[in-house]
Amino acid sequence: MTEAKGCVVEAGRRSTFAEALRANQAMVFSIAYHFLRDRPAAEELAQDVFLQLYRSFEDLDSDSHITFWLRRAASNRAIDYLRRRKFRAAIALEQAPEPSTAAVEDDPLLNRRLRALIASLPEKQRIAMVLRFQEDLMPEEISKILDMPVRTVKSHLQRALALLREKIGRSMGEIR
Amino acid sequence: MRSACLGWMALLLPLAAQELKLPASFDKLAEKASDVVDITMDSSMLQLASKFLSDKDPDEARIKKLVSGLKGLYVKSFEFDRRGEYEESDLESVRAQLRGPGWSRVVGVRSKRDGENVELFLKSDQGQVSGLAIIAAEPRELTIVNIVGPVNPEEIRDLAGHFGVPRMDLSFPNTRKSTKEEQQ
Amino acid sequence: MNDFEKQIRDALARKEPSPGFEARVLAATRRVEARSSWWNGLFSGRARWASAVVAAVVVIAAVGWRHERDVEERAAGEAAKARLEQALKITSVKLAKIQEKVEAHESN
Repeated sequence: MTEAKGCVVEAGRRSTFAEALRANQAMVFSIAYHFLRDRPAAEELAQDVFLQLYRSFEDLDSDSHITFWLRRAASNRAIDYLRRRKFRAAIALEQAPEPSTAAVEDDPLLNRRLRALIASLPEKQRIAMVLRFQEDLMPEEISKILDMPVRTVKSHLQRALALLREKIGRSMGEIR
Repeated sequence: MRSACLGWMALLLPLAAQELKLPASFDKLAEKASDVVDITMDSSMLQLASKFLSDKDPDEARIKKLVSGLKGLYVKSFEFDRRGEYEESDLESVRAQLRGPGWSRVVGVRSKRDGENVELFLKSDQGQVSGLAIIAAEPRELTIVNIVGPVNPEEIRDLAGHFGVPRMDLSFPNTRKSTKEEQQ
Repeated sequence: MNDFEKQIRDALARKEPSPGFEARVLAATRRVEARSSWWNGLFSGRARWASAVVAAVVVIAAVGWRHERDVEERAAGEAAKARLEQALKITSVKLAKIQEKVEAHESN
C-alpha cells in the first residue's frame, strides 16, 4: 500500500466510482481552484472531470491509475478553461502590491497573497507549482501528468519560485 | 471653463433617480481599451436571469434572493495595455453624482505607490441601503459598478465566497460610519 | 524543502468543494445513465424502434413551434444569467480588493 495525501491507496485494488469520487474530490477541486482561483469555475470543472471519469471508469484498473488519470484530466481541463476565459480573476503578477507588513509563519494574509501570486503565474508554471506543492509530486511525476520533459518541469518550478521569492521576499527580508 | 463644466453636467441627467450616468468620454475609453466589460441589466433583464437561477443550488438561490429586489445592475470595466489611458477628470462627473443626496462614501483606499484608488459608496433611503456604487481606478483598469435597489451589504459579502474571493467584513452606515483611507 | 517552500505548500493545502458537490456529481452521473438507457431502450427490437419513430414524428409536429420558442427563451435566459454572474463576480472582486487593502492598513 502507498499513502498519498491522506488517502490510502491499495496498489491493484480499484474502488467504486462513488468511493473514488469521495476520496479524490478535494484533490480535483483544489487543483482547479488553486489554478483558476475561481470557486464556481473550479467546481464546474471538477464536476466535468468526474463525469469524464465516470464515462472512462471501466478503462481504469487501479486506484493509483485513477489518481493519476484525475490529476492529468484536472490539469489539462484547467489549462483549457483558462485559455477560453476572458475575465481575469487574479491580480496580475506585475501589478500585485507588496504586502505592507512583515509576515509571520502561517499568516493567513501571506497565504492569500501567495495563492493570488501563484494564480497569476503563466499557465505552465502555475500548474507545475500546484502539482508540486499541493500534491507533493516530484518533477518526474509531474512530467508524466503534463506530458512534458522533466527538465522543462524543473525549469518552470525554478522560474516560478524565483518570481514568488522576489515578490514576497521584499517584505519578509531574507528568504531561506 | 465654468460653461464647459455646466455643459458636461447637462449631459448627465440620469434616466432614473439613482442610476449613474456615465460621461460621453467613456465611449472614447472603450476605443482605447484592450478589453471592455459592459453589462447593463434593468429590472426585466434581472428577472429573466433570475428565472434561470436554481432554487435547489444554495449559491444560486442566494443570488436569486439578492437580485429579487433590485432595479438595476450596471458594470463598466475597461482594461488597458498601458498606464495613463484615462484621466481623473473622466471620473469627476461620476463622483459628483455620488456626492448627491443620500449617497455616502463608505470606504476609500488610495495607494499612491501603486496608483490605485478604490472607493465604495452606498445610498441610503430612510435608514435602508437603496444603492451601491464602486469606482475602482487602477493603473491599467477602470471599473464602475452601480447597483440600484434595496441591496443588502451582507448578501454582497456572502457572494464573495461564492466566487472564491476572500470574505469581506465591512461595517456600513447603519452600524458605524467610517472612512478608511490609506496614503502609501 | 526550505521555509518558503513550506509556506507555499501551506498556502496550497487542499480545499473541499462546497457541500453537496458529491451529491451533484452522482446526480449528474444518473442523468448520464438515464439518457444512455433511454436511447438503448428506444433502439432495442424492431417494433419498439418503429413505434418510437412514429411517436417522435408526432411529438415533433405537435410541439415544434413551442420548442423553438422555448429554445430561444432559454438561450436568452442563460445568457442573462451568465451576464449577471459576471457582473456580480466583478463586484465581489473589487469589494475583496477593498477589504484586502483595509486589512493591510489595519495590520500596520
